[in-house]
Amino acid sequence: MNELIPLMVIVPLMAALLISAFSRFNTVTKIFAFVVAICLPIIPIASNYGLHYFGGYEPMLDNVTNVMFHPAITYSFTFLQQIFIAMVGLLTFLVIFIYLTEYKEVSGPYLFLLFLGTAAVTAMLLTDDIFHMFVFFEILALAQVGIVAASSISYSNEMALKYMILGSIGSPMMLLGIGFLLAMTGSVNITDIAAAVHNGLVDITSPVFLMSLALIFFGWLYASGLPPFHTIKSGIYSKAEPHGAALLQSFTVISMISIVLVMFRIYSTLPIFEVLIVFFSILAMILGVSLALTQTDFRRMIGFLAVGELGFIGLGIGLGTQYSITAGLFQALNEITITALLFIGFGAIVNATNEVDTRKLGGLLAYHPKVSIMLLIGGLAMAGVPPLSGFQSKLMLVQASLSCGYPEISILAIVVSIATFVVFVKTYYSMFLKPKPEDLDVEHKEVPRAMIFAMGILLIIVIAFGVYPDVVTDGIANFVGGIL
Amino acid sequence: MAEVQLIILMTSVALVIIGLYSAIFIDNIIKKIIGISFIEEGANLFIVAIGYKAGGVVPILMPNMDTSWFASNAAYPLPFGLVLTSIVIGASTLAVMLALVMVLYKKYGTLSTKVMLADTSKQEEYNE
Repeated sequence: MNELIPLMVIVPLMAALLISAFSRFNTVTKIFAFVVAICLPIIPIASNYGLHYFGGYEPMLDNVTNVMFHPAITYSFTFLQQIFIAMVGLLTFLVIFIYLTEYKEVSGPYLFLLFLGTAAVTAMLLTDDIFHMFVFFEILALAQVGIVAASSISYSNEMALKYMILGSIGSPMMLLGIGFLLAMTGSVNITDIAAAVHNGLVDITSPVFLMSLALIFFGWLYASGLPPFHTIKSGIYSKAEPHGAALLQSFTVISMISIVLVMFRIYSTLPIFEVLIVFFSILAMILGVSLALTQTDFRRMIGFLAVGELGFIGLGIGLGTQYSITAGLFQALNEITITALLFIGFGAIVNATNEVDTRKLGGLLAYHPKVSIMLLIGGLAMAGVPPLSGFQSKLMLVQASLSCGYPEISILAIVVSIATFVVFVKTYYSMFLKPKPEDLDVEHKEVPRAMIFAMGILLIIVIAFGVYPDVVTDGIANFVGGIL
Repeated sequence: MAEVQLIILMTSVALVIIGLYSAIFIDNIIKKIIGISFIEEGANLFIVAIGYKAGGVVPILMPNMDTSWFASNAAYPLPFGLVLTSIVIGASTLAVMLALVMVLYKKYGTLSTKVMLADTSKQEEYNE
C-alpha cells in the first residue's frame, strides 16, 4: 500500500487547486472540502510504512565510489511521519469544519491556502530530498502569509508583508546553504549527503560545510519562529483568524522538526551544532514566557507561550540522546494539540465578546462554562500539570537533561513551566473569574458548536497522551534509534 | 576552479550583499523588494555556477550521441533543474509581496516601510 504515501501530499494539493478553480459553486465546494478534510487523517493511518521512489527510480550503486545513491526524490514514511501527518490532518479537518460551519458563503482561496499549507508540511515531513523540502518550505511560507492576509483583523496585511519580507531573506539563505551542500557532495538527497558526511567523504571542518550549517540554521530559525524571529511569529498568530492560528502553529511546529531532523542527520558530527540548538531553544523558552507575561492581548500571549514551548522541542533535540530527542518530538506532538486547543478556545471567546484585551474581559465562566473548563485543562496541559500530555513530555525533557549531566537546564525547564502556569492562570483569572465589566456584552452571543466539538476532540487527545504516553513515545523512540 | 566559474561566484556574492543591504537598510518598500530579488538571484546564480563545466555540453542526451562521451563531457544537470524550480518559486513570492504592497499603498498612500509597518505592534481592534 505504499502508493498511499505520495497521496498524502497529492490529495490536499489537488483539493486546493480544484477548490480554487470551482469556488463559485458554494455548496459543492463545501461538500468537497469537507470530504477531503476527513480523508486527510485517514490516509496516513491506512498507509503502510515504507519508502516511495518517484518515477520508480530506486537507489543505485555508483561504480566509481561504490556507494549507493538516490537518483530521484524519495518519500520515507515511518511511525513519526504517520503520527504527525495524522495529527495535522485531524487539525486541518477540525479547522475546515469550524470554517465551513461559521460562514454561509465560503472563500475558495482561503480553503486553497489551508489545504496548500497542509500539503506543504506533509511533504516536508515525508521527503528525503533537501531541495524538495526547501520548495515546500517556500510554499508553506506563501500559504502562511495568505492565511494571515485573509483574516479580517486590523493590520493583518501589514503583518503578512513583514513576515514575507523576513521570509524572503531567510529562504535564499537556506537555498545558499543547500547550494553549499550540493557543491560538496553533488547530491540533494539527505541520506546521500549524510552518508557522504559520516563516511568521511566531506571535510566537516571546512568553511564551506560550516557556512552551509550557518545558512540552513538561519532558515530554520525563521521557519521555527525562534529568536530573533519570535516576535514576528507570535505576531502572525495574533493577526490570523483563531482557527487559522491553530493551524499556523501546527505548521510552524512541523516545519521546525522537519528541518531540525534533517540538520541533525547531516551536522550531528559537529559539536557546535547541538550547542547552537540548545542556546537558541533556551533563549526562546526565556523570551517566550517573559514576553507572554507582559501581554494584554490574549492571542498574542498564546503566541508567545507557543514560542516558549518551541524552545522545549529544540532543547530535547539539541541534547542529542535517543531519550531527549524522543522527548522533544513528543513535546512537538503535544504542542500541536494543546496550542490548537487554546487558540480555538480563545477564538470562541473572541467570537462571543469581540474583545481580545484581557483587561476588558471578566466573569465569562458563568456564560461559557464548557469553553472555560476546556481552556483551563488546555492551559494546565501547556504548563505541564499531571496527568496531562504536556506533563509527560516535560517530565521526559527534565529527565533527559538530568541524564545528560545538565541539572541547570532541568531547573530552567521547571522554572519556565511554572512561569507558563503563572501566565495562564493570570489570563484565565482576568477572563473568566474576575467580575464582569459592565460594558462587556456577552448575553446573547453563543459559542459555535463546531468550536466546542473541535476543542472536545483535542482535549480527548491531550488527556489520552497524558495517561498513555507509551502509545506514542515507543514508536518515536524506535524512529530516533534509527537516525542516531 | 575555472575563471568563468569564479567570476560567476563573485557576482553571486555581490548580488547577495547588495540585496541584503537594500532589504535591511532602504526604507522604500519597492527598493526593499528589488533587494530581496537580488538575494534570490544571487543564490540561483551560485547554484548555476556549481553546475558549470569548462568546455561542457548541454546535459541533454540526443539519439546519435555516444553515451560515454556524453557522460564525460555534459555539465551536471541537477543544479539547473533546481534553479529552474527556484526561479518559479521566487516569482510567486515576488507576486504575493507586490500584491500586498499594492493593498498597503492604497491604504497609506506611501511606499515607506516606516509608515506602512509601524502600526502592527499596536493593540488592534477586532473587526468582524
